Amino acid sequence: MKRPIAMFVSFFVCAVLLAGCWSKKELTDLAVVIAVGLDKTKDGRYLASFQVVNPGNVAGALQRGGGAGGVPVSIYTSTGDTLVEASRKASKKLSRILYYAHTNLVVISEEVARQGLNGVFDAMERSHQFRTTARLVIAHGHSAKEVLSVLTPIDKISANQIIKTLEFSEMSWGQTINTDVWWAIRGLTSSGRNTVVTGVVIEGNPQQGKRQTNVQSSVPDARISLDGLALFKKDRLVRWVNGSTERGVLWVLDRIKQTNITIPWKGKKEAIAYRTMGVKTGLKVKLKNGQPSILVHIQTEGDISETYVPINLADYRLLFQLEKAIGRDIEREVKQAIETAQHEKTDVFGFGEAVHRADPLLWKRIKKEWDDRYFPHLRVTVKVDASIRRTGLRNTPYIK
Amino acid sequence: MEHSKINVRQLFVLIVLFEHGSAMVIPLGVSAKQDMWIAILLGLALGLLLFLVYERLFHYYPDQPLTSYVTHIVGKPLGKLLAVLYITYFFYIAARVLRDFGELLLTFAYPETPLFVLNVLMAMTVMYSAYKGIEVLARTGELLYTLLQILAVVGFILVIASGVVDLTQLQPVLEEGWKRVWKTVFTETLYVPFGEMIVFTMLFPYLNRPEKARRAAVAGMVLTGINLAIIMAVNTAVLGADAVSRSSFPLLDTIRRIQVAHFLERLDVFFMVALVIGGFFKVSIFFYAGVVGVAHVFGFSNHQRLVYPFGALVLLWSVAMASNYWEHIHEGLKIVTLYLHIPLQIIIPVLLLVIAAIRRRFGSSAK
Amino acid sequence: MLFQWGMGRQKKQINDGVKQEGPDHSGEAADVPQEPMSAELAVNLDIIRQTTGQSSDVVIRRFSLGQERQIKAAIVFVDGLVDEKHVYEFLLTPLLEASFPLSLTEKEWFPWIEQKLAAVGGVKHVVDWEHLFLELFSGETIILLDGVPSAVSASTKGGQYRAIEEPQTQIAVRGPREGFTESLRANTAMIRRRIKNPNLWLETMQIGTVTQTDVAIMYIKGIANDEVIEEVRARLRRIDTDSVLESGYIEQLIEDQTFTTFPTIYHTERPDVVAANLLEGRIAILIQGTPFILIVPALFIQFFQAVEDYYARFDIATALRFLRVLIFFLSLVAPSIYIAATTFHQEMIPTQLVIAIAAQREAVPFPAFVEALIMEVTFEILREAGIRLPRAVGQAVSIVGALVIGEVAINAGFVSSAMVIVVSLTAIASFATPSFAIAISARLIRFGLMFLAAMFGFYGIIMGLLVMILHLCSLRSFGMPYMSPLAPFISTNVGDTLFRIPTWMYRERPRLINQKNIIRQSGDQKPQPPAPTRREKEDGS
Repeated sequence: MKRPIAMFVSFFVCAVLLAGCWSKKELTDLAVVIAVGLDKTKDGRYLASFQVVNPGNVAGALQRGGGAGGVPVSIYTSTGDTLVEASRKASKKLSRILYYAHTNLVVISEEVARQGLNGVFDAMERSHQFRTTARLVIAHGHSAKEVLSVLTPIDKISANQIIKTLEFSEMSWGQTINTDVWWAIRGLTSSGRNTVVTGVVIEGNPQQGKRQTNVQSSVPDARISLDGLALFKKDRLVRWVNGSTERGVLWVLDRIKQTNITIPWKGKKEAIAYRTMGVKTGLKVKLKNGQPSILVHIQTEGDISETYVPINLADYRLLFQLEKAIGRDIEREVKQAIETAQHEKTDVFGFGEAVHRADPLLWKRIKKEWDDRYFPHLRVTVKVDASIRRTGLRNTPYIK
Repeated sequence: MEHSKINVRQLFVLIVLFEHGSAMVIPLGVSAKQDMWIAILLGLALGLLLFLVYERLFHYYPDQPLTSYVTHIVGKPLGKLLAVLYITYFFYIAARVLRDFGELLLTFAYPETPLFVLNVLMAMTVMYSAYKGIEVLARTGELLYTLLQILAVVGFILVIASGVVDLTQLQPVLEEGWKRVWKTVFTETLYVPFGEMIVFTMLFPYLNRPEKARRAAVAGMVLTGINLAIIMAVNTAVLGADAVSRSSFPLLDTIRRIQVAHFLERLDVFFMVALVIGGFFKVSIFFYAGVVGVAHVFGFSNHQRLVYPFGALVLLWSVAMASNYWEHIHEGLKIVTLYLHIPLQIIIPVLLLVIAAIRRRFGSSAK
Repeated sequence: MLFQWGMGRQKKQINDGVKQEGPDHSGEAADVPQEPMSAELAVNLDIIRQTTGQSSDVVIRRFSLGQERQIKAAIVFVDGLVDEKHVYEFLLTPLLEASFPLSLTEKEWFPWIEQKLAAVGGVKHVVDWEHLFLELFSGETIILLDGVPSAVSASTKGGQYRAIEEPQTQIAVRGPREGFTESLRANTAMIRRRIKNPNLWLETMQIGTVTQTDVAIMYIKGIANDEVIEEVRARLRRIDTDSVLESGYIEQLIEDQTFTTFPTIYHTERPDVVAANLLEGRIAILIQGTPFILIVPALFIQFFQAVEDYYARFDIATALRFLRVLIFFLSLVAPSIYIAATTFHQEMIPTQLVIAIAAQREAVPFPAFVEALIMEVTFEILREAGIRLPRAVGQAVSIVGALVIGEVAINAGFVSSAMVIVVSLTAIASFATPSFAIAISARLIRFGLMFLAAMFGFYGIIMGLLVMILHLCSLRSFGMPYMSPLAPFISTNVGDTLFRIPTWMYRERPRLINQKNIIRQSGDQKPQPPAPTRREKEDGS
């Protein structure tokens, strides 16, 4: 009994004396990187920007009065042929170790995306610190560095602002997609699916956005806003889509939770607004003579949220007509999206994967040429079942 | 020899913990792609057959471990040789699993720490448990079994709740027919973890009711097989077959995908608990079997004195066996399977059983 | 020297149980005169005086017995240990007033006295000095007669004891208010009052060559396991020490395993706890001079059970027990988790929180481990000070502690407020553990785990806990596996571990080793609502 204890004790003593603590890193020695931005320099190397939290100036730092003056984040940049090189080089400018476990956002500039993402994610996937649940956005119109530099008023850390916007706008508007690095990698590795990523733009003057004054005004000089959807083909960005086309993509991807559709009624163009509450999209593959075709079946449920025309919504037969009209509207959006994608020869919908599941042997034969030969001519049927469940607190509007 | 006894329930628990061991965390049967869960279940079915061979042998010699009854079956000189071979095998696998375990920790949490240091801590604990004996290990198992079950259920619920499970990723089932699956079974899943049940031939004599050994062991193996199949199926459904096969630790990746209510995320410590407990039991049981085997074969009355020298041996072996992770894995998948698992888990036990059965039938008077 | 010591120990083992007067224990028994008692009163009284060193509290009163014969007699007692009124009223008065018959031979004197002293509790015949002194110092009164080489001791125990009060530890909101006192007899009485059964047996012995402390084993014959009783007896008999001043002395001499921080013997101040344990087949060891009574065998889970669990309804009791295990776990690992999470596994903390903690730690000059160590040690100091100080000063200590730790330390940038939260959580958790014995062992292990956490992060904590569990599983208390009925798992007893099943379901007693009599109550006692009366039925329809 005495011996094991003695051995344990001696072991600990030795261990402490000999080595200390290897993987230990004190919080005060870490620079918590909350977002990474990727640009290309003129000579084709990566320009990496790291948004580092300045803990003393964020909420929770009320004690010892750190907050008032400073900015909550700082941007460090460095260049390198590889991401890891750039990251290591940044340590020349930084008094702390860059720490990636809390990197929740990756911003990639349009330029990099157009030249190809291959290789960008490997380091992120391989590193034990970096988490692939980090969100991915493409900087549209400005460089990633500029996007990360803008200071934001409500969520002090701009990366958090972007992440939360992504999340809530996907939930309530349905024209953005919350893509994380994991999804992007999946899109890159799968032969039957390509990636879509939401774009982020700066509204206003990015030069002003860097300053603390930006957050001291009720109308900031520069704001970050989500806009557009980048369609990728393999690892390259090929096309931006906006508005209803953008939503069409998300309908097929089954990523819409809530959104608003306005349909014309009795000659008035934007007459009745329909709010979806639950959407379910299914893909069915039909094979005819070895030629696959796809049936996209969308079921939505929702309420009437606004009307601009007099209509008696208590009449359920009228509701059926409305449902049909809504269905047509959605169908139009989806068709538009599919046509765009087929035009760009990129299957962002995962139709290929569906074919793979339905007929693995056929897929084996056609997967090499799927995007370029089969997908653009794929017959896609869209079927929408929209249903109106409730009409809110009123049945007929006051408009007469 | 130790005179302690374990009961049937404890045997069951030990088997479950042992079988889960490292199998839970490593990419098991990934060459079958999205059909890996089928490969695991088939491995289980064949493993059960193999286990019946071991159980039959135990049935013939209910109060002796494997290393003792081989001498009865094949005679003294050859028997001793085989016994030593098995003991070496047990120590080697103990060292291998210890290495696996150290590598895992090193890769995902302690990249700057020397492998040796991590292994020392584990090896000390293993030695302590071996010193205390099988009874204490079994009781510890009973406590930790409950803990692991709770963790598993909670983890499962969280994975489901984060909405990352996409069952379509398990399709198409049997994309390339049965061939790929069977190949995986015969190259991977049969031996690890099911064939490793051979080590329990060293522990059966401690059972207080030997007649129930079969029921407990089969129940343990089936439960493990189903659990592992579920784990790998969930991994596949969350990550996709491609990512699972590229990942060093699919379970870790799955756990990292958990995000519930902006709060229950970053649960890597779950993984670490499962990893450490599983690894601990696997190393402990192999190590204990080895130590008891030495005590038996070389006639030591007390196995406790052997714990430290052999513990040090296993520790050093674990560090020295390969120079990098993939060399280690390559050895594990190719060399060990071909030259160690197949002969020691299948060929020799089957031969032993045949000889023993023949002796039983025709030579009972010779005894 | 070492060799000799070894020899001595061996000899002791051989003479196990035999009273032994070696030179190594400082001559206590040797001072008792070895020669037989004299027939002459004066000689005997001299011997008593000399042996006790003429101690002033040893009172010797001489008198004559009988009007005609005038036999010289004396009573001897120790002032303060006896009930003096009792001595004079019931002992001396009857003897002085009785007419002593002339016909009696010397041999018949004592039986006559015994007859006369019917009013006194017990009368014993004492023939040697050793017994005489034992009786004398136990509070008996010795009667010596001239011409007889022996004496009579009469039971006159009395004197001042602390009154029965509410127990200081193990306070219960619901439950009996009385607690044990320092008097062995009062304690046994309190238990007897609860279990009125002839099978409640009491065995008494003296332990401590100098102190001659009364130690009693109490158990219920037929419910308690005979093997365990025999084991307890054997372990108590093996004790060879000069003194027993508290049950802790005995506890440390009979426990199964010394090198452990976990208590393997339960102690309590509450008679209802002892009664409940006796009824479960456990054995109580009562020691004169302490209100703490030992109970064996003790299981790990017992230390998480409070008496009130059995008085409260089962759902509440179960919830509280889970809470207690959580508390124990917190008091073990809270600081080490803080250390591990902030120095190794920052990735496991939610982003918002990690930034908040980082902000707090920005100005703290120490590594997290040192910070935690400082705070934990400070807290332990405060607690120790709070316990030892007189109550009035204790207040001051807590004010200083609260101010220094809570406010100033943070403002001065010594520690982060997250650390203060962790330390106070740990502190409160360790106070909330029902058993002080287990809380104090958690305190020790906590520092070990903090150390491991500082070196290896979560891996260290997990390994530390694993070793702790291995160790717990290897412990035994009087042969009982310490972790039972969880490991080894005994399904019929799990109802009274972390869970507490409803009282009517307690069919069986806990299985202590090879116990035979395990049925506690009949199994069909589920309370039923009465059948609706006819009146109700009619009203309802």
